[in-house]
Formats: sequence, structure tokens, C-alpha cells
Amino acid sequence: MSHLFDHHGAENTGYSQPPGLKCDSAPVVPSGLQRRAAARWPRLSEPEMVRHYTWLSKRNFGIDTGFYPLGSCTMKHNPRVNEVIAQLPGIADIHPHQPESHLQGLISIYYEMQHMLEICAGMDQVTLQPVAGAQGEFTAVRCIQEYFRLRGESQRTKVIVPDSAHGTNPASAAMAGFEIVEIPSREDGRIDLDALAAVADETTAAMMITNPNALGLFEADIKAASEIVHQAGGQMYYDGANFNAILGITSPGLMGFDAVHFNLHKTFSQPHGGGGPGSGPIGVKAHLAPFLPGPLAARREPEAGEVDQTVDEHWYHWHQPEHSIGKVQQWHGNAGAVIRCWAYYRRYGHGLRDMSEHAVLNANYLRHAIHKAAEEAEVAHLFVDGAETEVAKHEFTLSMQPAKDALGISAMDVAKGLLDRGYMAPTVYFPLVVPECMMIEPTETESKDTLDTFARHFAQVLKTSPEALHEAPITTPVRRVDEVYAARNLCLRHPFDEA
Amino acid sequence: MVDQLPNRGRETEMLNAMGMDSMEALFADIPADVRFQGPLPLPAPQSEEEILSDARRLLGANVAMGSRPSFLGAGLYRNYVPASVFQLVTRGEFLTAYTPYQPEVSQGMLQAMWEFQTLVSELVGLPIANLSLYDGSTAAAEALTCAVRVHTRKASQPNTVYVSSLTPPDKLSVMHNYCQGAEIDLRMIEHDDDGTIDMASLAEAAGSCGVYLEQPNPLGILDEKLTAVKEIIGENTALIVGVQPVSLGVVEAPGHYGADIVVGEGQPLGSPVTGGGPLYGIFACTQPYLRLMPGRIVGRSVDVDGKEAYCLTLSTREQHIRRHRATSNICTNETLIALMGAMHMALLGPDGLRDLAHRNMLACQKTKEILEQTPGVTIVHSAPHFNEFAIEVNGSAAECLSYLDANGIIGGFDLSRWYPQMSNRILVTSTDQTTLRDIESLSAQLSMWSTHQGVSA
Repeated sequence: MSHLFDHHGAENTGYSQPPGLKCDSAPVVPSGLQRRAAARWPRLSEPEMVRHYTWLSKRNFGIDTGFYPLGSCTMKHNPRVNEVIAQLPGIADIHPHQPESHLQGLISIYYEMQHMLEICAGMDQVTLQPVAGAQGEFTAVRCIQEYFRLRGESQRTKVIVPDSAHGTNPASAAMAGFEIVEIPSREDGRIDLDALAAVADETTAAMMITNPNALGLFEADIKAASEIVHQAGGQMYYDGANFNAILGITSPGLMGFDAVHFNLHKTFSQPHGGGGPGSGPIGVKAHLAPFLPGPLAARREPEAGEVDQTVDEHWYHWHQPEHSIGKVQQWHGNAGAVIRCWAYYRRYGHGLRDMSEHAVLNANYLRHAIHKAAEEAEVAHLFVDGAETEVAKHEFTLSMQPAKDALGISAMDVAKGLLDRGYMAPTVYFPLVVPECMMIEPTETESKDTLDTFARHFAQVLKTSPEALHEAPITTPVRRVDEVYAARNLCLRHPFDEA
Repeated sequence: MVDQLPNRGRETEMLNAMGMDSMEALFADIPADVRFQGPLPLPAPQSEEEILSDARRLLGANVAMGSRPSFLGAGLYRNYVPASVFQLVTRGEFLTAYTPYQPEVSQGMLQAMWEFQTLVSELVGLPIANLSLYDGSTAAAEALTCAVRVHTRKASQPNTVYVSSLTPPDKLSVMHNYCQGAEIDLRMIEHDDDGTIDMASLAEAAGSCGVYLEQPNPLGILDEKLTAVKEIIGENTALIVGVQPVSLGVVEAPGHYGADIVVGEGQPLGSPVTGGGPLYGIFACTQPYLRLMPGRIVGRSVDVDGKEAYCLTLSTREQHIRRHRATSNICTNETLIALMGAMHMALLGPDGLRDLAHRNMLACQKTKEILEQTPGVTIVHSAPHFNEFAIEVNGSAAECLSYLDANGIIGGFDLSRWYPQMSNRILVTSTDQTTLRDIESLSAQLSMWSTHQGVSA
């Protein structure tokens, strides 16, 4: 083990810095504000620091380590040139309050990204301000809220979500002050139009839904659902978590949605960073555009004094929407993430549809390969599809309930067995509507060989004796972690000498 | 484009294995009336080389602050981030992982974040820190809603919080957006002419759910009065202090003068300014706020063999479990940037942080000393400052900044953008990256502008 707080180098050694500027009189912190006891930070030399974090990195699993089929998270390859670009001083060393003349490149890239996302989503205006998917959701429902307030329809206080929705949907709507109405899915995992019609009324502000849904199924009735909500006077909100399945094939605009958020870190490959940063732009139809948080990128003809500073034939500038809800993050969104995703988009251009086609191809192929491998290994009876469907989209669900009933093997056991074989486990126990659920999303950047091998390993895991599988994982840096112990014996920081 | 799609050229083989004959069969479930007709109206794909070349051209058209004397801060601070931070953070095991749902293969990030929690906790002087929110503004906004959740039932001013009237409008706007859903009343605490807290105004906040003040405040002032606030507002009102984390190398940790929650923009530790994002918001608190706080938190535990191990804990506060009753909707946060912060903190150590804070103070002091001697420039507040201070020029701040820009200097922040009544004031920021030559250039050009103003006036 390497522990950061075990390093106690001598005082006043370590990381060297140049001397400060020489002043006529020493700067003074008021006596009552002077720091009395320094933070008990460790003292490490650079070689020790580098080795500590390298050691930690070796105890972490990323896409670069191996196949990462974490459903709903779209763990695709992160091209490295995007990291090189994000370190250029023209993005790393710029300040959002610099004048527009200093930021022509940045604003033009924002403009290009807004435009591209508007086309892909079938929306009229995109803002790149929200910094994560959940913040995009919150931003969009806030816009819808202000839209109704301005129209004198403040009685619209409810947001409808399907029971299979991501937890962020109800959490974001509740944060904006809405009441949540949850509707059950049909037996086959799809939206229940009767249930929707029964709750959509003059108190409905919006319905939040993702398509393909959390089971990886395309909601063919989506237009009918949009009509029901619109007839009740509500707005349709598209959760873009699963956008990777449909880019260039269909769009939220075509399905009748009024607002959408994108998870740029999923669809456009901002590295997930162990839990962020992300980027969660939203797109809206024209009637909601005046409410968006700014600044938006806009462009016009350059004026005389501007011509020598332009990046093309336009002058790019910031624009504040008329009835903006204001800010959701203090600056201009996660510019560094937007730049990476811009570089990713440029790689595909009009071929973005190929990306989605391959994502769906890989998901369906893997589903097929898993069933085939399970039959060959005679373990096919131990799981069933989470939803009956001819084709899945970019991800699919399996229910391990039969394995649980027959052998006492849970979805978590299978997940841990996969860790032992060198994989990240799929998402487990989500969506809640599938018992003992495993949600598998391979993404388009995995090869057929990887998918075939994973399918065989999946079957092998189910061949493992239940006793052995309950013990899994055994090859990982630590074995099953006691989460109950962690919650009951809270240790949220290094105890120093207090323990 | 093939380089991103390993199965290009193998589509037929894969489709046939599934008993399908075309890609179209995979999309048979999408009705025709919602289908795109034709290709996306977007440009052709590009190679890596072409993209890099375009990126260099477009981003090269931006003016990097390091390319000229720059005195723009106002919440984000240019600093030196050691090379090892950038080298280590791009290790794929960190960069390309996601939220550590499977702790057995995520010990590296979990331990790093547990260490981050400890580093932040020590820095601000509070026992608990989460593993980051989006930025300083959302951390402050979430602190307000958290304070209301904790205190509103016993408060004589329920659902009410007080915020410094100096809070930058963009940050205030984030607070309004986060607070309006819970119908929280956001009121202001005024400041005296010397830029410090108006204690009479503060007294009105007693009995409310929370008070938000910054140290240093948005005008760069180190306000000693803040140490007396907790006693005035009392036990049942949360004192929330927003900090510039580097300052805490020399300035007292707010946890040591009564803060219940400390938030702040983590950026100066570990991250370049990056156009304003991604950043990371610091959030730390005392025990009573723990179970109602936002964001992810890592706990130390054991594995089945009794070996030390780490995992996410207290998840029952979070959206994926609690759904609409969650303490926040946050899911993806800013872990990787927080990791950069942890690496920078680890490398600095307590002495390095003190030295870094001191260098920032020296740069600010030197700038003040030189501008005090600059004709036409007045230092507005005589208070002690960290990083930045307001100057008054003899004319419009916007025009002055344009003049400086035309002469190759990013002169600071036009304070009228925050406070409309301050049309002649500029917030001048210096950091460890500010040089004597930068300051002399600024002084010379300010002097020229003042003279020029004098002539035209």
C-alpha cells in the first residue's frame, strides 16, 4: 500500500518555487486572520508523488485497461489528440471575461458546436452552458418553468417521468420545484400511453423521457406520447443519455420533443475522468430559446476594425437570450470539454450516423453472441432478456433472475466474476424494472473479437460454481468491499493521530 | 474515420451471424415518420492531422493570457501547475474510468478522492469534504439549499438565506436558479464603504438558515470582521464561507473561525483557467450537514479479507437511490479536475502552499505599490488584499481597458459589469505568474491613458 499521508518529509523542503516579487513593505494578513496551524498535508518529493499516483492508477480500471460495457454510460474510446488540443494555450490559458476580440477561435467553435448539435437534435437553438447531463436536465426544466410563468400558466407544476427513468430526471425536476408523477412502463418495458393519458392534464409542465429507453428499446409510440403531452399543453423533454443510438438516424425534433440535453462526455467522448468532468448542453425549439442560459455564440458580418482579427468571414460574439433563466454555472460552461467534443465531432463530420450504426450493430451482435455462447456452454437457462425485442439499440438488458432462483447467483455475483476475467462489469440493478438486471453497452469502438471473447467469458462465469462466484473477485487489488461497514463506521478522511 | 470504428468492413459478417442482411434491419423498430431523410448536412470527416491543424489555427486566434501582461482574475486565477500533474492525470486508468461503481477495480481513484477529501478538509479546517461539485458557484448554491434543509425547521426566518451583496451577479444568478425551486428567499448583506461587512446589516441575518460571505471577498479584501460573524448569527444559522483555496496557505481556515460550510472555486489548485471550465467546486462541512449534503463521498472500509479498501458511501442521499428526494441532482461531477487539485496539493505540501500564497500576496502588494505611484490611479480600499484590488481611474473603466488592450495589456476586470455604480473602477488581479515587468507595463500605460484623458477632458 502507498499512503499519501505516510509521507513526512522534512519541513521547508520539497517543491521549489521562484522567489516572490520584492516589495517595499511586506504584505500583511490582519492579525486575527493569520493562519495559525498549517494544514496537515503530507510532504513529498516529486519522485514520491509521481510514484504514489502511478501506483494508484494501476489500481484503477479505465477504458484503456479493458472492455468497459457499463450500460447507460457510453464508455467509448477517448482519442488522444483531443487531450493534446485541450492543452493548447488558446484554450487552457484563456479567461471567459476576456473581450470577444480575444476569443474569436473559442466563440467560433462554440458556434460550430451549437449548429452541429441543433442539426443532430432537430432543435432550433442550443446552449453549451450546462456542465453535466443532470445540469442540462435542470436547466431545461427551468426554461420550461419560466416559459409557462411568462404565459400565465404557473399552475403547471408537475413533471411526468416513466418508472424506468434515470434518477437524475426526477431529481432535476424536483430541484426546480416540480412535483413528480411517475408512470409505470408496460410489461414489455415500453411507455404505457394509457397511463400517460391518465395523468397528462392542465397541471402538466413536461414529460421527461429518453429514447431509446433505459432498456435499450426504441419507443415506437413516441410521437403518440408527444401528442398526448402537447394536447394537455405540456412540453416534451428528451434525456439525451442514449443519443449514441440514434445520431443521424432520427432526432428528438422529429419525435416531437421541445427540449433535449446532450451528454457530450458520452456521445462525443469527453473522457469520463473517474466521474467527470462532463458537459451537458441543451437544445430547444424556438419557443423556449428566449429562456436559455447564456452566453450563446452568435455571428455577424465583421465591422471595419474587426476584419484582421477574424477566423473566417464572420465576427463571432456572445449573445444573451431575452428572457434567460440566468446562469447555471458561473462562466461559459465546460469550454475544455466542448473543445474535445468538437475535435471528436470533426473526426466523423456528416458520418456521425456511422458511429451510431456501429454502436447499435455492436450491441445487437454482443447480445446475440452472449446468447450463443451461453447455449454452447449450456447456461442459456440462467438468464433472460430484460425485455422482449427483435432488435436492441445501443445497449440491452439481461435479467439474472433465473440464475438467482436456480443457483443463488445474483447479478452482482456475475459482475464480480467478470471483474476477475479482466472486464469492467456492466451496470447492475438498473433499470429497477428488470429484476437482477445487467445493462450492457459495448459502444462502437469495440472490435468483434473483443465482443466474441467477452461473450465466451460471460458464459464461463455462469459455469462457475455458485460457491466460487460468491467469492469473486479474487484477482483484483482488493476483494469484495464491505459497503455496509463503510456506512456504519464512517471514515471520510485520514484520521491522523485522532484514531 | 476507420481508426475509430474497429468493425468497419466486418458489418456483413456480424449482421449475417445474427441472421440479418443489412444495417437497416437494426433500425426496423424506428418508424419512418421520425427518420432523417438523407445524410446529415455537416462537413466531411477529417483526419487527426487535419483536426489538430484546424484546432491550432482557431485556438491560436484566441489571445492566451500568458502571451501578454494580464491582470484579469475576478474568480479564476492564472497560476503555475506543475508538469507532473498534467503528466499523471492523462494516465488512461484515471482519464478513461467512470464513477467507481465497482470498487474492487476502482481503488486507485477512490483512494485518491479519499485523500482529496482529507486534503480539502485540512485546508479549510472542517471535518468533512465531498469529492467536488461543478464549480465555485454551484458549490455555493448547493451550500445554501443544504443550509435550508438543515436549519429551516428551527429557524425564526425559515427558508431564508443571506448573501453578500458583493457576490458577482453571475454567481448570484446560479444561486437564484438553485434556490427558487425550494422557494428560498435570498436576501442581501450590505458592505461598508471600506469594502468590509456592514455589521448592522449582518445582524438581520440572525435566525435565518444561512449566511454566505467570501474570504477574500470579491474585491480581494481580507475582511477580519468575518471572524466575528458566527457569534452574531448563532448556532442555528449556517456560516458558509467562499474561499480562494491558495489564500489558505497564509489566511486562517474558515473552519477555525466558525464556518459550518466552506465552498470555493478549486481551480487555482491544480487547473489552468481553461476558458472557465472544467473547474471543480470545493464543498466541506461539519457533522450536522453530512447527511443532507450534496455530492459523492468516499469512505474507507475493508474487503472480505479485512484488507483496507475504499468505496462510495452515504449514497442514500443521491439521485440514483433517492430520486426526487435526493439532496442534489448531481451525478457526473468534476473528479478528474479534483484529482489534479489533489496532485498539486500533494506536491506543494504545507510549506509549498504557504510559499505559493505568499508569492500571490507579494505580487498583489507589488502591483499596489506601483499603482499607488501611478498618476491618475487611485487604490479604492486601503484594506489588506489577496490577489486583487479595485482601482479607480479618471474616466470610464471600459474605455481604459480598451486602451490597455490596444497596447497589449489585459488590464483587469471592469467592475461596472458587476456593480453598475462603479463605472470608473477596475479589479486588478496579480498572481504568482505576474512579473515586475508586467506591472511596470501596466503602470506606464495607465499613466499614458490618464494623461491622454487629461488632454481630451
